Amino acid sequence: MQPQQPWTKTITSIMRRIEKGGLAMKKSINKVSERRAAYTFICPAVVLLAAFLIYPSLQTIRYAFTDYNIMRPDRIVFCGFNNFIELFQDEDFWIAVKNTLYFTVLVVPFQTVLALALALLISSRRKGVSIFRAAYFSPQVTSMVVVAILWTVLYNSSPDSGLLNALLVKLGMEPCGFLNDPKAAMNSIIFMSAWQGAGYQMMIFLAGLQGISREQYEAASIDGAGKIQSFFYVTLPGLKSVIQYVVMITVIQAMKLFTQPYVMTKGGPQNSTRTLVYYIYEQGFQKRNFGYACAVAAVFFVIVISLSLGMKKIIKAE
Amino acid sequence: MRKRWIAVLLAAAMASSVLAGCGKTKERVNEKGESVITIWSPSDEPAIEEWWIEKIDEFNQDHEGKIELRREAIVRADSYAYEDKVNAAITSNDLPDILYVDGPNVSIYAANEVTLPLDDFFSEEEWSDFFDSSKQQNTYGGKIYAVGATESSVALYYNKDMLDEAGISVPEKKEDAWTWSEYYEAAKKLTKDGVVGTNIIMDKGEGLSYVLEQFWISNGTDFVNEDGSSAEGYLNSPEGVEAAEFLNSLIQDGYANIDPIQKEFHNGRAATMLGGSWEVATLEKDYPDLNWGVTYFPVADGDGIPTSPTGDWAASVTKNVQDMDAVKEVMRFLFSEDNVTTYAKAISKPPTRVSSYDVLTEYNEYPRSIFKEQLMETGHPRPRTPSYSVLTAEYAEAMLNIFTGVDPQEALDAAAAAMDKDYNKYYAQD
Repeated sequence: MQPQQPWTKTITSIMRRIEKGGLAMKKSINKVSERRAAYTFICPAVVLLAAFLIYPSLQTIRYAFTDYNIMRPDRIVFCGFNNFIELFQDEDFWIAVKNTLYFTVLVVPFQTVLALALALLISSRRKGVSIFRAAYFSPQVTSMVVVAILWTVLYNSSPDSGLLNALLVKLGMEPCGFLNDPKAAMNSIIFMSAWQGAGYQMMIFLAGLQGISREQYEAASIDGAGKIQSFFYVTLPGLKSVIQYVVMITVIQAMKLFTQPYVMTKGGPQNSTRTLVYYIYEQGFQKRNFGYACAVAAVFFVIVISLSLGMKKIIKAE
Repeated sequence: MRKRWIAVLLAAAMASSVLAGCGKTKERVNEKGESVITIWSPSDEPAIEEWWIEKIDEFNQDHEGKIELRREAIVRADSYAYEDKVNAAITSNDLPDILYVDGPNVSIYAANEVTLPLDDFFSEEEWSDFFDSSKQQNTYGGKIYAVGATESSVALYYNKDMLDEAGISVPEKKEDAWTWSEYYEAAKKLTKDGVVGTNIIMDKGEGLSYVLEQFWISNGTDFVNEDGSSAEGYLNSPEGVEAAEFLNSLIQDGYANIDPIQKEFHNGRAATMLGGSWEVATLEKDYPDLNWGVTYFPVADGDGIPTSPTGDWAASVTKNVQDMDAVKEVMRFLFSEDNVTTYAKAISKPPTRVSSYDVLTEYNEYPRSIFKEQLMETGHPRPRTPSYSVLTAEYAEAMLNIFTGVDPQEALDAAAAAMDKDYNKYYAQD
């Protein structure tokens, strides 16, 4: 073995795992040449990762300790923890944290339940079901920007222009400022996000449902279980790992909320839809406080990582 | 054995393509040995895109073997997309030679030495042919940093049929321009049956600063002080708060929409609108059935100052330029009397060169004469401050907050403080 640099250690350990698993049966083959081939295969991926993920991430952390203004790349001054000190006293930052968590806590259960319900509805083999499957999935294949613009029109606060408000007025209710009322704006975004995103989770649930064998349902019905009971005692336990996966990816996606506030509300009204990622964009690109934006991004990274590690732990503990 | 070599080659090819993508710089000389000059400007309507193609062809034919002019049209959308792209290019040192920037951004780029002074591009005599309003907007620290071919102005468009029906007549002379209360009363009378009385821009972006700043100026204040170093006591002055309260009353009383549909006025859903000079062409061409007119920008009650917005996109030369002589050649070509005239005609905006008005005689006639008159007599460019991007973003946010219920004084205080903080952080010591 040649002396190893620190970064190659991780790769070697990954390689070892692969060797232990899939390649175990070919142990007789010359190990050195095998290793070399393996490194060659992962080389492009590592180069890409290094260039587009690792290097920029490290740069972000470096800039977080500077007063980098995007207009002055040649005049970057190190400023220690100033950005972080300012950050923790910054009211807008805490509002952004609160909004992001609020969005995540509401959208994840809502979207997951919606997706599961849709999956159950169309899992039966009745005629014409595939039309619904395509229909429920179609918002997912549409770009979020397009969806957001469409919903901005639907949500328009004037009953003369907004479809939803026209409906409300027809039903004899007061029109609602879906995107203009600070109390309603985030909820409006949550609803349309779940509507747009549920199709994808629905497909995953569908696959999961197909994995539950029919015998289990038969056995349950012989034991006298009704539809509701078999849902709670057969379907749900059978989907457990799928649900865990879906919740995990939805949480991470939800934390990154940006497009909807960018297109629909610009973070307003009254800060009610300013999320962390939107705040990073706003500080970095609109107000050009790049160093400060990097500090927010660093804190955001810590939040997301600890959240996903925490969730992993909970899942493992079960 | 062979397989492994293929793998190695594939890996090498992928890796090298990645690296090649990173290190690519702007092409400065093409294979014919011509100096390549690149222009970035916002993508625009077909007539202007055609103008560009035609003029670039013309230029390249005249300069064959020496200069090749290229233009990249960049989507501007209605908010900050274009600026995002420029910001990214500044960080990666990948700016084009010639960059079109919106009027108020000229100071930002100049203050940060992203763009270069252009005073020696034209002779004194040539400069004197350009509008003062345009030169004023494009000057920072006593030097000219950008040249514009066109100007813009905003006036009050009205739907003649709706005004006739409501028995409202509009002022015909600048001195008789509607006061805020007259404007408010008209909007009030005109609001009915799903039609709002007026439209006050509400693009949630740059349009707000561009048009609504005039209400501050007319009321005897402005967004920032003379040298652009502070907004405190200007943006949030009592006169400023009064202006914000007036605008808010139009929204709260339902005479203007907070989120108007696209082309609200054009489609007969608003009886009046504060609209740009470029709308004249759109209305003439695409809405021939609409019976419309234009009158002067409203003025504050009492001793209100007659005012109107000005400023338009202008070309600047960036620090990444290499062949300065070629760039000068291009700039002198783009802003020659002839080309300013044809460009202004294509884009349907008032030209910046006085001599162009000898050719574009339509500006002597109503409705375009209103805009020319405003430009020459009441025009006020947006604030010249290196902190403009913070100011305009904060202003748009403050106005939206006010329209959704925040106290105007509180919202404007916050915006003024944010702008001053940015100025003190980056520019106070310069």
